[in-house]
Amino acid sequence: MDFRPFSRPSSKLRFSRLALAVVFFVVGLVSFALNAVEPAEKVNFSFQIRPLLADRCFKCHGPDDKARKGKLRLDLAESAYAIRDAEKREAAVVPSHPERSQLCWRISTTNEDDRMPPAASNLSLSSEEKELLQRWVKQGAEYTPHWAYIPIQKPSPPKLADDSPAQNPIDAFVLAKLQRENLKPSPEATRETLIRRLSFDLRGLPPTLEEIDAFLADKSRDAYERLIEKELASPAYGEQQASLWLDLARFADTYGYQSDVDRDFSPWRDWVIRAFNQNLPYDQFVLWQLAGDLLPAPTRDQILATAFNRLHRQTNEGGSVEEEFRAEYVADRVATAGTSFLGLTLGCAKCHDHKYDPITQKDFYRMSAFFNNIDECGLYSHFTRATPTPTLLLYAEDQEARHEKLKAEIAAKEAALALLARQTESPANARSSIPRPEPSARYSFEEISKESTPDNFGSNAAQLVDGPSLVSGKAGRAMLFSGDNYVVCKGAGAFNRTMPFSFGLWVKPAEYQPRAVIFHRSRSWTDSGSRGYELLLEDGRPSFSLIHFWPGNAIKVQAKTVLPTNEWSHLAITYDGSSHANGLQLYLNGEQLEVEAVRDRLYKDILHRAQWGDAEVGSIELTLAGRFRDSGFKNGAIDEFEIFDHCLTPWEAKLVAARTGGAGKEAVPPSDKELREWVLRHENTNYMAACAELRKLREEENTFANDIPEIMVMNELPTRRPTFVLKRGAYDARGEPVEPGVPETILPFGKDLPKNRLGLAKWMTARQNPLTARVEVNRVWRSHFGHGLVESDEDFGTQGRLPTNPELLDWLAATFMDSGWDIKALHKLIVSSAIYKQSSSAGPELLAKDPENRLLARGPRHRLRAEEIRDNALVVSGLLATRIGGPSAKPYQPEGLWEESGTGKHYERDKVEGLYRRSLYTFWRRTAPPPSMLIFDAPTREVCTARRDTTATPLQSLVLLNDPQFVEAARVLAERVLKGNADDLDARIRTAFRLMTGREPKDRELEVLRGLYEEQLNLFSAEPAAAEDYLKIGERTYDKALPLPALAATTVLASTLMNMDEFVVER
Amino acid sequence: MNTNLCTGPLPAAGLTRRHFLNRFGLGLGGIALSHLLNPARGLAEALANPHHGGVIAHPHFPAKAKRVIYLFMAGGPSQLETFDYKPMLNQRNGEDLPTSVRMGQRLTGMSGNQAILPLAGSLFKFKQHGKAGLWVSELLPHTTKIVDELCVVRSMFTEAINHDPAITFMQTGSEISGRPSIGAWLNYGLGSDNENLPAFVVLITPGKVDQPLYSRLWGSGFLPSEYQGVQFRSGKEPVLYLGNPAGISTAGRRLMLDRLRELHEFQRAESADPEIDTRISQYEMAFRLQASVPEVTDVSKEPQSIFELYGPDAKKPGTFAANCLLARRLAERGVKFIQLYHQGWDQHGNLPKGIKTQCRETDQASAALITDLKQRGLLEDTLVIWGGEFGRTNYSQGKLTSDDYGRDHHPRCFTTWMAGGGVKPGFVYGETDELGYNVVKDPVHVHDFHATLLRLLGIDHEQLTFKHQGRRFRLTDVSGNVAEALLA
Repeated sequence: MDFRPFSRPSSKLRFSRLALAVVFFVVGLVSFALNAVEPAEKVNFSFQIRPLLADRCFKCHGPDDKARKGKLRLDLAESAYAIRDAEKREAAVVPSHPERSQLCWRISTTNEDDRMPPAASNLSLSSEEKELLQRWVKQGAEYTPHWAYIPIQKPSPPKLADDSPAQNPIDAFVLAKLQRENLKPSPEATRETLIRRLSFDLRGLPPTLEEIDAFLADKSRDAYERLIEKELASPAYGEQQASLWLDLARFADTYGYQSDVDRDFSPWRDWVIRAFNQNLPYDQFVLWQLAGDLLPAPTRDQILATAFNRLHRQTNEGGSVEEEFRAEYVADRVATAGTSFLGLTLGCAKCHDHKYDPITQKDFYRMSAFFNNIDECGLYSHFTRATPTPTLLLYAEDQEARHEKLKAEIAAKEAALALLARQTESPANARSSIPRPEPSARYSFEEISKESTPDNFGSNAAQLVDGPSLVSGKAGRAMLFSGDNYVVCKGAGAFNRTMPFSFGLWVKPAEYQPRAVIFHRSRSWTDSGSRGYELLLEDGRPSFSLIHFWPGNAIKVQAKTVLPTNEWSHLAITYDGSSHANGLQLYLNGEQLEVEAVRDRLYKDILHRAQWGDAEVGSIELTLAGRFRDSGFKNGAIDEFEIFDHCLTPWEAKLVAARTGGAGKEAVPPSDKELREWVLRHENTNYMAACAELRKLREEENTFANDIPEIMVMNELPTRRPTFVLKRGAYDARGEPVEPGVPETILPFGKDLPKNRLGLAKWMTARQNPLTARVEVNRVWRSHFGHGLVESDEDFGTQGRLPTNPELLDWLAATFMDSGWDIKALHKLIVSSAIYKQSSSAGPELLAKDPENRLLARGPRHRLRAEEIRDNALVVSGLLATRIGGPSAKPYQPEGLWEESGTGKHYERDKVEGLYRRSLYTFWRRTAPPPSMLIFDAPTREVCTARRDTTATPLQSLVLLNDPQFVEAARVLAERVLKGNADDLDARIRTAFRLMTGREPKDRELEVLRGLYEEQLNLFSAEPAAAEDYLKIGERTYDKALPLPALAATTVLASTLMNMDEFVVER
Repeated sequence: MNTNLCTGPLPAAGLTRRHFLNRFGLGLGGIALSHLLNPARGLAEALANPHHGGVIAHPHFPAKAKRVIYLFMAGGPSQLETFDYKPMLNQRNGEDLPTSVRMGQRLTGMSGNQAILPLAGSLFKFKQHGKAGLWVSELLPHTTKIVDELCVVRSMFTEAINHDPAITFMQTGSEISGRPSIGAWLNYGLGSDNENLPAFVVLITPGKVDQPLYSRLWGSGFLPSEYQGVQFRSGKEPVLYLGNPAGISTAGRRLMLDRLRELHEFQRAESADPEIDTRISQYEMAFRLQASVPEVTDVSKEPQSIFELYGPDAKKPGTFAANCLLARRLAERGVKFIQLYHQGWDQHGNLPKGIKTQCRETDQASAALITDLKQRGLLEDTLVIWGGEFGRTNYSQGKLTSDDYGRDHHPRCFTTWMAGGGVKPGFVYGETDELGYNVVKDPVHVHDFHATLLRLLGIDHEQLTFKHQGRRFRLTDVSGNVAEALLA
């Protein structure tokens, strides 16, 4: 026995539907299979043959070059038709000639060695499937493109009889199909059902009793339409739509991976809510998120939207290879954009050509080139709380204007100083006695005592760590380092980014290291995003940097000159406090070095700050020759290390080198230019006063900017970072270089489009793109029916599920685009249809014929999402806090969960409002997500998820029965119904029942609930202490004026209703 | 029946009556689902086999093990201080790691920038034990007494070098998150042998602040979430939300649930919606869970001799020893996959001191578990696994002194042992070079390890698949060879 449907009903098994699945399996895929057995019926390649070939054959005979066997491709007609045996005139497929088609005998032969698919593949074909393939060949073996890659045409709705219940074209498409299946649509659902359905679908919340009453009483013809308008205009609409978007965006409040530190993306989440509420057209919604930063003069919201691409997980695990994880992040962006916007499994082509869809591995990396071009680091910082670059400053209210003003004042002052410098003439006479520049600290390394070496002013002795030793130096003795040891100059060089400073030192490298730390004042390298300043030798080239977070918030200059090895060189570094790369100068033996500005964008401070939450504030020290987990100055020597708390002039830099290099070399006469600059900085009082003012302004700006929070966004690098095919997807296995590009079989990339994310976004939202609109209308459809027209939201490719009503899908997609991608209009269109308004109950016959309601002969019915279930309890109890947006909330959660996972983090739950906010605001820790959400099938949000399962497990019952969130809600609701109706039990039951289910209880239900109440009342009356314990659950205190046993019994009653199927299911 | 039917997303054909019983609680609920059981091709056959509840109706191989207890040593225990004896390391203590041994293989950024990578011999003494003469260090005195039960693999290797990817790889077969964990695969494949307990239970030693754990490690990935592991915690509520709210007695709850069922039965009569039956069963099973979980976690009736066997910690709830004892109780009750985690093995520095503590916390109870299972006749069909996500370097991270050193992450080799359920007892497999850096004989990759594990449970690792995003995924991705030599 081998009976197999052509297409699997679902790529994910839903627990609660197991039983149905059996029936479904047996009936066989209703629509497709039935078509197949009609002999006269023409075989449809797209719907019947390709899925079969894709599933059983493409793994070895599909698009993946490397996996291909026997040089045969069955996904392309020309390859399938190609003559393989000239003598017998045989090909794999000879149209109309099964007898000459190798495919036909290969699938039917009894010879195991020849039979396809081979036994080892664990795949096989049923006799029906074999017959179908034979028939397809006989009928001409026509190839047509995969349905989802065919451009969207707008089909005309089928004509129906005049008395049809159709209310809009959606109905025409569905009813025509029902007619073919000999099915009748179901009658319209009750008004109670309709308002509840609509309210959950559009707002994610149940209707209030007042809303239900008003709708029931409203007999006007447009009552339903006005209800739709009202729901769409509700701010809760944006929250609900955003909530649905968060799984795709892999939205969370933490980085993920092992340390899983918090980082706040709520401003982006709030933008999503705003976008939906303002009904931002979907093409813009896509474009802003992919490339808002590349729009001309982008608004702050447009830039903020691109945070979508930074929501992937990030790590700061010690010792991680930065590039390995950066490559992961880029790949995640591609996969996420592929799934969420295109419904394509692009991620499958990361390591090899896609096995089923026309996406090559090269296509994947061409796509990744769009996302590979921001100034980012593969690791976030462990020792600081810096926001990984690139970032957007999140100004409050008028802060941006104030910041701009400050920056303008600084620029003006800088220009004035430059002018003053140009206008100042050279002094008439050379000076005989120019004061020598005095350092604030100097280490000559002449002696070691007690693991320390003194500074020349006797104040800051430097500590030796792991035994650097003294050797003969440039002047006297010098310090020799191993690469693993270092010297800590405690208390020295505590500069921020606005303070001018300089350094001078002699260095003698022993070898060219790719990277050697000469000195730094920072905690570490990647473990702290290099926060601080540092002098490095990179393959012998000196570089100096000031860094808030490397690489996007830093300045760095690198000399073009290579230092000699085994020879002493004097290096001087001067910095003017400007936060500009051109404020940094490097000198070699007194001569200014030509440098390259490697980075020139520093907009926050370089010190650790307690108010940022940085670690080890106050214990970061200036250190020579080595750094935590960095590459030290191996066998290198350092001598005469000097620190200056001002910016040396070029002539002073020369003096410092000469003086420390040995006696008698100090009398270097300055050039005119050198002298003029010295005078300007040391004697020109105007200039000096202006400098002081400038410094004050810079300090003010620094203080101001430091307090502005940031968020990760996209920001294009000026020069494109080269992108390569990564063999096997491995970061260190670079293959050929690639240019940005797209899978051209989907839609060629327009010649006029820029080759960046903006171009990509325009390609995605082009009218001709066959996927974007289909994917979105399908998603919106799912939000109403519980299933998409294409069940596999995450895969519209050849291995995905086929659309149950392709004409309807295309009509909706075309209409959606014609409307200007109007999302609210799309919702309205769907919920206005007669199909949507049908009753969801089904008789046994319909249930057997169409258990999953693919034909839509009845209305939608599905369990609510985790968020909706909790929000429902909050609304019916009246506990819901309705504030929109802001940082995430921490409602009830069992104690100790975070501690148990070993992160050392503690879940400090909120006390008041945070307990009762909508669930889309619940704090999401990726490594330990809110358990009650996971139990109700929410994903962990570690990766983009297009679709949730719906399961039914006993753990869910335990949440609804025992989670304090639900117990408290039941009790608050009990108080609510008890207060008005202390003497009328039936009235209490009715109100509670209506709140929970949206309908009136039936008599027998009422009777059961009365019985329940009496039973519980007896129990609690016998044991009032138990009642009190029960009522004390939750932060909200109960009304002590109410009779305890009655309140407790009513609470159990409310809790029972909260556990009813009708509470968690939308019908 | 065609066994490859387990490969699809729809295990309908593999669905058995047992599956219904387990999932829907028919047994105790006493609710007829007859109208669901339409005459159906495939189903009749499925019903003929009452023994399994997963998608694998018939094992692909005779199953040697019926369940697994996996003692996961999170953080990466040092093989050089436990099972992989390397006297040459002590001889060459302090020498720089030869480039001929390292062969350009990558290091982490924690030690990769050190100017010297000094070889570090173990400070602990090794002796041979048991019939096979297995070398075990003095840190594991209790383990030495059960070595004749152990099947020790000294040639494990992995690809990941950082904890998160490595532990994710070990537990899900992929470094990338989103894949089902081993336990979820088994739950999906084999179902449950106890309708009152979850098939996949997770036990963590709390309070070990070190490399953290993540729920993805026992998650269901792209499998339906019902297959995810259920964490049993120490304390009064072993399973989240298990306990009735304060003031609600079992009797009160039962009355309430009876009324709830009446309401659901009305609803079913009216709507003929089969999902109502699911709902009813869901509540019955929840009620049974409320009784069966406290029953299994209550160790108060265990005899004193058992506590003595597992060691003094066994009476402290949540400790590794207590979890080992609980694991045995769960195994007795047919729980399919019991995953323990004990963190704290990440000794980058202060290794001698740190690993001593770790061994003290785990040695006796691990050995006791084997002894206890054996004396109950359970070891035969229970596979016990002990091991971490990678090994540790043979050189010191940071400074090497006469009495102190650290070891960095090392994916190239590490040791894992197995016992019971179909593996060769008293057997050593695989070998590393004399400096303990690379595997030189019989390498066992993570995928091979998973393939072997599944084989012991009667599963062909290439046939337990699930179609997701158009591709048939499996625990072993696209590779994995069963290490046949390990099979008894």
